[in-house]
Amino acid sequence: MRTPGATDGVATVCAWWDAAFAAVRDVLRGQGLSEVSTPVRLDAIAIEPWIEPVRADAGLLATSPELPMKRLLCRGAPSIFQIAHCFRAAERGALHREEFHLVEWYRHGEDLGPVRADVERMHAAVTAAVREGEVAPLPWRTEAWLDLLRQTTGLDLRGDETAPQLHEAVAAVRPAWARPLPWQDDATGPDQVAVSRLDAWTALFSAWSDDVLDPWLAEQGRVGLHVVDFPAPLCALAQTGSDARGRAIAHRFESYVVDGGRVLELANGYRELRDADEQARRFATVAGLRAVHGLPPLPVPEAFLADLRGYGLPACAGAAMGLDRLLLLATGSHDLAALDVHLGAPR
Amino acid sequence: MDVSELKKNAKLEIDGQPWVVTEFQFVKPGKGQGLYKCRIKNMITGSVIERTWRSGERLEAANVESKKMQFLYATGDTYTFMDNATYEQIEMTADVVGDDRAYLLDNLDCDVLLYNERAVGVSLPSHVVMEVVECEPGVKGDTATNVTKGATVQTGATIQVPLFIKQGEKIKVDTRTGAYVERVNE
Repeated sequence: MRTPGATDGVATVCAWWDAAFAAVRDVLRGQGLSEVSTPVRLDAIAIEPWIEPVRADAGLLATSPELPMKRLLCRGAPSIFQIAHCFRAAERGALHREEFHLVEWYRHGEDLGPVRADVERMHAAVTAAVREGEVAPLPWRTEAWLDLLRQTTGLDLRGDETAPQLHEAVAAVRPAWARPLPWQDDATGPDQVAVSRLDAWTALFSAWSDDVLDPWLAEQGRVGLHVVDFPAPLCALAQTGSDARGRAIAHRFESYVVDGGRVLELANGYRELRDADEQARRFATVAGLRAVHGLPPLPVPEAFLADLRGYGLPACAGAAMGLDRLLLLATGSHDLAALDVHLGAPR
Repeated sequence: MDVSELKKNAKLEIDGQPWVVTEFQFVKPGKGQGLYKCRIKNMITGSVIERTWRSGERLEAANVESKKMQFLYATGDTYTFMDNATYEQIEMTADVVGDDRAYLLDNLDCDVLLYNERAVGVSLPSHVVMEVVECEPGVKGDTATNVTKGATVQTGATIQVPLFIKQGEKIKVDTRTGAYVERVNE
C-alpha cells in the first residue's frame, strides 16, 4: 500500500480521483443506472436536524442532491446516479470537509438489498482501482440498529419510545447520556411530542456512536458493516414499519467500514418515503427541533413536496456514499488532506 | 464565538483563563449532532485538558493581542524575544513556547501573544527557510516526493524531506504542519 501524505504530488492525487470516478461510473452504469447532474444552487434543501447549508447569493448550496434527484424520479427519470459536489457548513476535520463529493443513486422498484450490494461493489471497485497489488475482499455483515444498541449497552428499546420514556430508559443504564436528552414533552401540542422524540433519539444516537459504537467497531477487525432497521424516529426520508419482533423501525441503513484502524461511516440509504403529507409533517418536525436548538430556520422544500403530491415518487430505494471517504479508505490515508486537489487552504 | 469557529490555535477564555486549542477533532455520527473534541492548553500554566463541545454551543474568545517581536536567543529553557519597536526584551519558558521552538531560528520575526500584557505564546510565520545540517546522502535523480528521509535542521528539529535533499541545502518548511515544502536555491 502507498503511504500518502502532505508530500504526495498533485499527479498522484489526480490519478486517484480519476480512478475513483471511473470505478464508480463503471459499477453503477453496469447496474443499468444513468448518470445525471442536478443544480448545486437550490431554493431549498432537505431539512435535517444538524446539517447546515452554505448560503449562496440567492439560495443554498446543495447539502446533498437528494431532492432534485427525487424530483427527476417523480417526473419519469429511470434509475439514476450522480457524483455531486456537496457543501455542509462548519464541518471541518480529518474526516469532514465543508465541500465534498457524494455518490447518490436511486434504483426503481427495488429495496435496500441491491443498494447495499452497490455500496459493497463500489468499495471493492475503488479499492482495486487505486491500490497496488492484490487486496483481500472486505467481508460485509449486517446488524440491526436496536440489536446492536442492546448488544453494546444493554438498552432494549422498542423504537417508538417518546422523549420521557427514552430518557427514563437511558438514565437507568447510562446516566451521562441522559443529561442532554429532553426529559419531557413540551406541552404545547402533539407536534411537540414528535419534536421531543426526534431530539431525544438523535441525542442518544450521537452519544452512543461516539462513546460506544465507534470504539466497538474499531475492535471488529477489517470488516464492512451495514447497520439496518434504524429506530422509527430516526427515519429521515425513509419509510417506516415494524420488524419481526414488532419494533418500530425505519427502512434505513448506514454502512461503516473498519479498516487499518479507521472507522468510517461511508453510506446512508433509504427505502424512500413516498407519502407527501407524511414528508411535510417530518420537515415540520425537524424545523421544530431546529427552533428548539436555536438553529436558523430553513425554507420548506415546496417544489419537491408539490412533485411528490402531483406526480408521485415511484417505489424506489436509494443511498448516498461519501466518495472522499471511500478514496481515503482505498488509499490507506488517515486525513482528507491527503486527497486535496484544491490549490489553497482546504476547507 | 460559535463553536463551529473552533480550530487548532483558536484562543478561548474559560473561567477567566486563556486557553489555546492544541488538538481539534470534529466527529459527527450519521445525521447526529456534531462534537468538537478538543485538547486545550492553559496559556499561563501550560496545563492541558480535554474538552468536548456540541454543535450550537457558544464560546468566548480570549482577548489575546499580538506584538511583532524578534527571537534573539535561547539559553537553557529560557527563550528571549525583543520588541521591534521599543527594543524591550521579554522571556518565555520552553513550555510556553511549545512545539513551535522547533522552527525558532535566531533573529526570526514572529508575533508574541500577550494576554493581559503577559507573554503567553508565540505565533510564527507560516513558512521558514532552514538549513539541513545533517541527513543521509542524497539519491541522485530521484525526484519523487512521496518517499522521504529524516533531515536535521539547525534548531535540532527533524524534518521529513525527499531523498534528493543534501546536507548543507536550504529547505522551506511549513511551521503549521512541520512539512517540507520545497528546496530553496540561493
